[in-house]
Amino acid sequence: MTSSSKLPFSAGLLRWPALASVAVLGLSGCSVANSDAGAASSSTVRVVLAQEPPTLEACESNLTSTGVVVRSNVTEPLIERNPQSGELEPKLATEWKATTDREWTLKLREGVKFQDGTPFNAEAAAFTIERAVNSKLGCNVEGYVFGDADLAVKAVNATTLTVTTPEPDPILPLRLSFLEVVPTSTSATEKVREPIGTGPYKIEKWDAGQKITLSSWDGYWGAKPAYAKAEYQWRSESSVRAAMITSGEADVAMGLSPDDNIGDLGVDYPNNETVALRLDANEAPLSDIRVRQAINFAIDKEGIVNSLYQGKHQVAAQLVPKGIVGHNDALKGWPFDLDKAKSLVAEAKADGVDTSAQISLVVRSAQFPKITELGQVLQEQLSQAGLNVKLKMLETSQHLTYQVRPFAKDEGAVALMTQHGNQAGDAAFTVDQYMLSTGAQSYFGTPEFDAMIKKADAASGDERKKDFEEIFAYQNDKVVQFAHISHQTGIIGKAKSVNYTPNSSSGDELRVSEMTPAS
Amino acid sequence: MKSSLTEGAARAQLPAALPEGNSDGTSNGKKDSKQDGKLSLFRLLLKDRFATVSALVLILIGLTALIGPALMGDLATKQNLLFANKAPFTFAHGWEYFLGSDSLGRSMLARLVVASRTTFSVALPAVAVALIVGSLWGVWAGYHRGWRENVSMRIADVIMSFPSLLLAVVVLYVFSPSSANIVLILALTRIPIYLRTARAESAELQSRTFVDAARTFGAKPNAIIVRHVIPVVLPTLLTLATLECCYVMLAESSLSFLGIGIQPPDVSWGLMVSQGRQYLQTAWWLSIFPGVAIVVTTIAANVLAAWLRIATDPAQRWRLALPRKRLIARIPAKETQP
Amino acid sequence: MLIYLRKRIASSALPLMVVIVGVFALARMTGNPASLYLPLNATQQMRDAFSARNGLDQPLPVQMADYFGGVLRLDFGQSLRTGQDAAAMALRAFPATLQLAATTMVLAILLALVVGCWAALKPNGIADRISSFVSMAAASIPDFWLAIVGIWVFAITLGWLPTSGVSGAGAWVLPIATLLLRPFGVLVQIVRGSMVSALSEPYIKLARSRGAGELRVVTHHALRNAAAPALTVAGDLTVGLVNGAVVVETIFGWPGIGKLMIDSILQRDFAVLQAAVLLTAVAIFALNILIDMGYALLDARVRPVTVKA
Repeated sequence: MTSSSKLPFSAGLLRWPALASVAVLGLSGCSVANSDAGAASSSTVRVVLAQEPPTLEACESNLTSTGVVVRSNVTEPLIERNPQSGELEPKLATEWKATTDREWTLKLREGVKFQDGTPFNAEAAAFTIERAVNSKLGCNVEGYVFGDADLAVKAVNATTLTVTTPEPDPILPLRLSFLEVVPTSTSATEKVREPIGTGPYKIEKWDAGQKITLSSWDGYWGAKPAYAKAEYQWRSESSVRAAMITSGEADVAMGLSPDDNIGDLGVDYPNNETVALRLDANEAPLSDIRVRQAINFAIDKEGIVNSLYQGKHQVAAQLVPKGIVGHNDALKGWPFDLDKAKSLVAEAKADGVDTSAQISLVVRSAQFPKITELGQVLQEQLSQAGLNVKLKMLETSQHLTYQVRPFAKDEGAVALMTQHGNQAGDAAFTVDQYMLSTGAQSYFGTPEFDAMIKKADAASGDERKKDFEEIFAYQNDKVVQFAHISHQTGIIGKAKSVNYTPNSSSGDELRVSEMTPAS
Repeated sequence: MKSSLTEGAARAQLPAALPEGNSDGTSNGKKDSKQDGKLSLFRLLLKDRFATVSALVLILIGLTALIGPALMGDLATKQNLLFANKAPFTFAHGWEYFLGSDSLGRSMLARLVVASRTTFSVALPAVAVALIVGSLWGVWAGYHRGWRENVSMRIADVIMSFPSLLLAVVVLYVFSPSSANIVLILALTRIPIYLRTARAESAELQSRTFVDAARTFGAKPNAIIVRHVIPVVLPTLLTLATLECCYVMLAESSLSFLGIGIQPPDVSWGLMVSQGRQYLQTAWWLSIFPGVAIVVTTIAANVLAAWLRIATDPAQRWRLALPRKRLIARIPAKETQP
Repeated sequence: MLIYLRKRIASSALPLMVVIVGVFALARMTGNPASLYLPLNATQQMRDAFSARNGLDQPLPVQMADYFGGVLRLDFGQSLRTGQDAAAMALRAFPATLQLAATTMVLAILLALVVGCWAALKPNGIADRISSFVSMAAASIPDFWLAIVGIWVFAITLGWLPTSGVSGAGAWVLPIATLLLRPFGVLVQIVRGSMVSALSEPYIKLARSRGAGELRVVTHHALRNAAAPALTVAGDLTVGLVNGAVVVETIFGWPGIGKLMIDSILQRDFAVLQAAVLLTAVAIFALNILIDMGYALLDARVRPVTVKA
């Protein structure tokens, strides 16, 4: 009796689940299950990203999630910035020079073809600039790199191009390094999800939601890359990305956290990101410079870097790390001095500043590893200094209403945690946004400070470098809009089978051609 | 016509409803157990070891949530970066670090205690609000039937097919991420469960003779609902609510995982599990302890609810009244009964 | 039955509209997506141009009228994020979730029937105690936590299964196991509860007294009655799965509708959100109708009531 009662099914009751199973099996055959297991082979490198690229449109490639796949793999720029040396190097343009103070002339590489077989020439280069910068397309790169300025472009002959700026622009070649060149057959009125470029890889297949496959292109003008294919997948949990490296399902994993614990499979690299608090001086108590100074003194940057980030980050004294033109080597992080912070707050209070007014510490959840912990540490440390701090963890869209103009109103004093990555290599990209009194991400400035910034923007060479260094020193002495915390270090997971050395731009531009199989 | 089809469906929402639904003596059963009084219920409880342990566990957890946070003072927020992620089960660092320290060097013990209050202050009000709103609405809809019932059921369908995540984001965006707002979201999304169950029970009851009798004596619908329908439906709904507490705790933790739940510096068990997951390989206790807390609470609540269900049901109650040995001996005997 | 079906489908149209109008209005309460899609230093003109291009500068009723006009022409709008057709994106993601949910539920029901019946044979016996403990524990473990532990144990430590993804049969195991636990835990308790009471019903005694074998008693008489509630609860749990596979899809990189929905909520990709919600709502309504019909077919006891109503 007992044995038989363990099989309590009648045929009639089994029918429904059985039918359902059959239906399920039938379904599973069609859309999701791909039987190729993406087996490790030396001809394919498998990369796992944090998110699926929304598009591979070339003129959106300054977006991290797009650029990491497209830039220098599928498409190429005219000029390329070497992330190690910071120097500009020829790519599709072989040389360039300023012919007047507003006009630049570029000499283009010959014998280059697009992946659709059409030749690369000045016409294509001019088309690319027109499309990305001057059109109504609303390209991200336009706003990020060029602003409102329209450029006048002219194809002088097949290999010569002139670009004229409305104002003198000493860093135009650097700006041009953000433009990925596309052929004239590309739509000028619509964004294109899968661009054609001149790069070593072409887009073979995009299984939306699952995988992007790039395959090496035979007609590439340069050296043939070592891997015949590159496969991109995406997982939003960093621990899962790390696990894929450990289990051999992926060769390269982006954006890992120090606690993913993958040992020597994790490779550190400086990712050019800097974390700081941006202080709104329009509201009490942050309106008093002593309170802003107190915040700088109250943050135990060494402790944060050593404990939360296992000593991998560097204490920051300015918004740009070493290697960016304008980085001031002489600046040292504010010392951690709680007594000093307390006395500064007390002084401000004695002068009638309402130091008990609430400061909102605005933090974007999941912006970078351990940000929640960092937010809580900062709240605690600022409270120690005698300030009334409330931690507000927000999702991206909401955080943006605090981060960029027009700023959220009636919010009282805001200390916003910002992660700034200067991928261009020139401090102008930082300072214009974060320090000009009208900057998109700046709460305030002073007329004198604005004048210094305008002067630096127009300068070139060593003078430019010196001007920006002064700006960073001036911000710490006289303005104190920022309480800098740390320059970050990124972690890439890398299987033993791949040789690759990440650099400061790997997060935005992962060059598959620089990867080789280790054997 | 449609309503009677869902009626059975909704009644079957929970096992609790079934014994009562099947045995026609639902209403009498309630009266019986009341007459027996609390003392005998308590004696019955002591007879069932599992139920006793569960009750003790729940009382302990309840007391912790009630008075624990006050005892812990600022221990739960006191950070010490040099003392982060210390392993548990040692008194070497003092009793407060017996369960280890978290990623910011705070006492895990203190944080678990403080989190218990947040967890319950989300789960209990969310369940209570959903229970009250859903039940009253459901009873009303089921009693009156007709268009009121139809409209109510369609509203339940709408809520059920509405993405609660969107609600969460809206509430977080428009208001602030406080536990009160999480309560609001969870309550709203769970209303249909009670609504459907209460409606089914009440629709069945309104055709019963004792309700008919009350109606013939000229009682107003609301009075009948309050005096005759609600008391009968209530035990079923309360059992359902116990089960729902578990669901709500888990839902809150899922919201934390997606970054749209309780936000630091507030702390709940769900948030602790979610935040601790990134340390699973380096400091497992950050997510295991709060996870265990959720599981233990849920199991205790479920065991007690299951026991209560039997204890208040006259058709089942004999099982508890029997001494354990005879109980076990009796069942096979019953089964082999020709 | 057909009349009933037609009536149910007809009466679902309005609630579906309400769902969409609600999603439409609520989504727009979460702020203008311009900041998310424009560069951080976008000027006000660029913001205005963005709003105008996407019709976000119109008053809400006008936007809604436009949207429903589009829906009637089967035009569900374009994704802000990817520029693709919103309906196509939702339709592409939906089967992945459906397969996951259906497989999970079938397995959960089968397992729960076995375990639940086993437990019900001896109420309060050892099997009963163990199975209720296991099922309650199963139902109360946070799913994302279980998923990550599962990856750690089965993919990394043991190396039996892939960590994530959709390639190969092995990739199904962890997501399904993660999703399975809660429905399984709940269903075991349902099956057990209804079996216990069904087995003590007079008609079971009658069947036994007529000399029916125990297997026949359990499967033919008791289970038939106990299956109806299990089916309905399973239906409700399936609705929860379709809506709640978000966590599992997020962790395992499963390209389903849950992941699509949370992404489009966080990215304010309104058209995709609306398309995804509409699709799941239709599926949920259809499922509810199927459950009710299945219930009526399975459980003869409700039929007289049906006539009365």
